Amino acid sequence: MDKLRVERHAVISGVGQSQIGRQVDRSGFQLTLDAILAAIDDAGLTVADVDGLAIFPGGGNANVPGYSGANLYEIQDALGITTSFRCGQVEGASLPFYGPALAVATGQARHVVVFRTVKEGSAARNAGGRPAYGSTKPLAEGPMAWWLPLGALSPVCHVAPYATRYMHEYGVTREQLGWIPVVQRAHAALNPAAVYRKPLSMEDYLGARMISSPICLYDCDVPADGSTAIVVSAAETAQDLRAPVRIEAMAGVIDGRPSWDQWQDMTRVGYATGKALWSRTDLRPADVDVAQLYDGFTIEVVWWLEALGFCEPGAAADFVAGGTRIALDGELPLNTWGGQLSGGRLHAAFGHTAEAVRQVRGEALGRQVAGAEVAVVSNVGGYEAGAALLTKF
Amino acid sequence: MDATVGIPPAVTEETAPFWDAAREGRLLVQKCEACEAECFPPRAMCRLCRCRDIRFVEVVGPGQVYSFTVNHQRWLPGLQVPFAIVLVEFAKHPGVRVVGRLRGCEAEAVKIGMKVDVGFEPGPDGFAIPSFIARSDSDNE
Repeated sequence: MDKLRVERHAVISGVGQSQIGRQVDRSGFQLTLDAILAAIDDAGLTVADVDGLAIFPGGGNANVPGYSGANLYEIQDALGITTSFRCGQVEGASLPFYGPALAVATGQARHVVVFRTVKEGSAARNAGGRPAYGSTKPLAEGPMAWWLPLGALSPVCHVAPYATRYMHEYGVTREQLGWIPVVQRAHAALNPAAVYRKPLSMEDYLGARMISSPICLYDCDVPADGSTAIVVSAAETAQDLRAPVRIEAMAGVIDGRPSWDQWQDMTRVGYATGKALWSRTDLRPADVDVAQLYDGFTIEVVWWLEALGFCEPGAAADFVAGGTRIALDGELPLNTWGGQLSGGRLHAAFGHTAEAVRQVRGEALGRQVAGAEVAVVSNVGGYEAGAALLTKF
Repeated sequence: MDATVGIPPAVTEETAPFWDAAREGRLLVQKCEACEAECFPPRAMCRLCRCRDIRFVEVVGPGQVYSFTVNHQRWLPGLQVPFAIVLVEFAKHPGVRVVGRLRGCEAEAVKIGMKVDVGFEPGPDGFAIPSFIARSDSDNE
């Protein structure tokens, strides 16, 4: 085995999603089963072929209602399978398929299903608005002990200072960064499963209410209900699979202080992951046909464009200006499903991975990027940061 | 502005000295007995030399705003908005950055590089939370 590039012994064999919406009036458990069965079918496998399960969040770290929609053991029980690999992931090692890929590449399992289910849309409705971060617990624990007592009760408040600092150092304006949500909304219009599909104009964007400056409403991803499942298989099973996709490279490095408030240089995020990713492949940024970059907030896309080398540090605003480069027919079509900003907060790059797989397979229907063979997918940003290249099999 | 709406911190062995001092209006950070490096939040171990022999020392201002946000969203009933959250660093204390609220100016007047004094104010559940105080305009020109 090529021990240096172990991810090449794994493929992504299937992706499946439940109904996705602002509110879907079915349990997280039902949505999870819908997604898992769809993903297994998409892979060309049967439930009995699955011998591994993985879930995010792994640590039960649910800071908001609706954050976690199903339990791994109950899902295994429902499926009636035997597993030789189970994995609960932290937000990263940064990619949904990171742990599962290592498991199938090293023979711990052959077909691992990893799933992520959110019911945050319903939870927000039930709370009469987006619930406060940490409101599921009486006390603010761990890193949140420094934020939640201040009334900074959302990740928006924790990420916003990065955007403030970035815009200050590089003289970037909201008008420039607004192209990211505006273009992604245009992509969402072509995705029947996206949560928001009505056109978003720059005027709408600039007129939106501020949540935590400089982050406005349309810079935030949209709380949603839905489940995504991904099947990761050993590459040696490729002949049994309907349409496998290669994992050309994957990486997730934390080189600074792993904390929203203590990260040293808030203008440079994800660079170590970007460097590690490109060290694992002969491909270069110019070879990427389509980009699914994590977008919990607009600024996270900015980080990834620069950290992955699609433009120079500080140049993302120019890169996205006018929207032509990141449009479907541009040099780097961005978040072609609408991203989390318009497609829904499916979280932890599960939606991004599903779309990357569809694009590389040529199965993205009305939003297909012509001839897409190399997709980049990234997760989170901030101290936790993962990225991968998925390529045509 | 009232700052008592929020979620109180879970106090741990590592953070108790900080929260105790906060009630007295003093900002304590961790200092390594071996290499003198300072660190915040306290980690019970020096992140530079890995020494576990640490003590707490008081940091006094002025500090400088590294970055900020002005929160406009009412995340909990009764949360008064808008208010500024600042990330403050101290020239004489490398390795220390503290998040707090900002008082002494309009929320929208906050700027990167602004000089602030150390302060605290009543927060949730009787805790004192970091609440920096903007220095007068002449100090901030």
